[in-house]
Amino acid sequence: MRHVWVVAANTFREAVRDRVLYNLVFFALLMMGAAILVGQISIGIEQSVIVSLGLAAISVIGIFIAVFIGVGLVSKEMDKRTLYALLAKPVQRWQFLLGKYGGLVVTLAVNTAAMAVGLYVALWSVKHTLNGSDWYVLVAVYLIWLKLALIVALAMLFSCFTTPFLAILFTVGIYIAGLYAEDLRTMQAMNLTATTTKFLRAISYALPNFENFNVMGAVAHSRGVPATLVWQDTAYAVLYAAIVLLGSAMIFARRNLK
Amino acid sequence: MKSSRAAGWLLVVLLAGFVGVWQLQRRIDQQKSAVLVEQDQLAFRSPNLVKKLSLEYTPLMAAIYWTRVVQYFGEKHRLHQTNLDLLWPLLDITTTLDPHLMPAYRFGSIFLSEPPPRGEGRPDLAVKLLERGIAANPEEWRLYQDLGNVYYFDAKDYEKASQAYAEGSKNPRAMIWMKVMAARIAAEGESPETSYFLWLQVYETTADPAVKKNAEDHLKLMQVELDLNEINRLADEYDKRTGHRAARIGELVEAGLLKGIPRDPAGYPYLLGEDGKADLNLDSPMLEEKLMAQ
Repeated sequence: MRHVWVVAANTFREAVRDRVLYNLVFFALLMMGAAILVGQISIGIEQSVIVSLGLAAISVIGIFIAVFIGVGLVSKEMDKRTLYALLAKPVQRWQFLLGKYGGLVVTLAVNTAAMAVGLYVALWSVKHTLNGSDWYVLVAVYLIWLKLALIVALAMLFSCFTTPFLAILFTVGIYIAGLYAEDLRTMQAMNLTATTTKFLRAISYALPNFENFNVMGAVAHSRGVPATLVWQDTAYAVLYAAIVLLGSAMIFARRNLK
Repeated sequence: MKSSRAAGWLLVVLLAGFVGVWQLQRRIDQQKSAVLVEQDQLAFRSPNLVKKLSLEYTPLMAAIYWTRVVQYFGEKHRLHQTNLDLLWPLLDITTTLDPHLMPAYRFGSIFLSEPPPRGEGRPDLAVKLLERGIAANPEEWRLYQDLGNVYYFDAKDYEKASQAYAEGSKNPRAMIWMKVMAARIAAEGESPETSYFLWLQVYETTADPAVKKNAEDHLKLMQVELDLNEINRLADEYDKRTGHRAARIGELVEAGLLKGIPRDPAGYPYLLGEDGKADLNLDSPMLEEKLMAQ
């Protein structure tokens, strides 16, 4: 396990060195601009727009990092040939993958947490106070982070067997399809054969359901999120990411690196 | 030395270039405004399509669409245009994207129901919007208040107004006057006192300056109506006592029926017209407000 930690720590350091966290400046500017502007151009939505804009920004920036850095985690090491030096040491391929994954997930946690602080500062500047229901925002941020962790796993899976460009396309495709997973189930109402319905139903469960992690609507209106949903989402993300990482490890173990 | 001078020149040229671009753009804008045919556009009219295209960011899209509603309504108001064709489609999309966005229902119903030039003059659409809001947010008793207001002031359907207040009053958090209003409107229909009270509730409970100003304008008009009724009542009393109609309000003061010449909310004294009925001063800005409301 120590090898995994070493790889993860180096991945985190590398991400910081690559100025990944510079996006925080953009986020801070966006939130400041929104806090100043929103009260002047709309009516009655100051709080909800700050929360929904902040959460959307955390999500979008996080997805960019998860997809682009996630895909590069393995492919960059192969392109630069640093992977060979690493695997010459007593580090298993799965340990390398898990370490890379852990490093980026920690980077995303730091990034997401910093943006959450920025969101609270913007919220406070609009309301001049924070009350109990504002803490639901943290739940939404946590669920976004779970979603990002799942996206990183998918990005790594695809980067294990295809080119970076295709891996990005596949990851984004699965992400978008995952947002519509529930719709595949409701399509049963249309004139479909029983086999097609079953097939769509199976696909809808096989796809990662990213809508599970979306509580932005409730949180923007200071509505609570059931604790049961939070732990179920956590379990879903952990289980799904584990399956994807296992698949990645199997593919990566068989990959010819010569 | 030479390179810093060159950089300085480059900066000057760049600045001059941008000044040129700015000036040119201003001229292009002027030319375009001369040939521009004003056209309201909404790329997607299907709320469900917009919802699907919004991916997981529907709350943010709803906020954007709501801002668009406010900007659209404000711009039309500024230009004194009464064609608000896009108001309902925009509100439809906004509330489909976020069924819990309370300002969209509360302010949107005002924009829809108020007669032109204050609004679109479509209380039917305002009712539709509020009923949708109530279905999605049954715990929000204020939506029943708004529904009652639309039925009372704009649709002039007092039975349904009474029903809306009565339904809203069942919410334990509802203000006690909701029940009183339900009973009073059921018994009396429209009355100036009821209208004044309802606008006073809007004025006292809203935090939005635009809505407050609107309620204040209505309250002033209601005050004028109540004042004119009272002066007419006193003029009738004077008629009974003296056997002739007063020609000036001063006569009512001299007869001890009034303590002084009453003034409208803008500070102008009321007048008695040639028919002996109380009216607003011709110089009063309230006269224009009153005519506009009619």
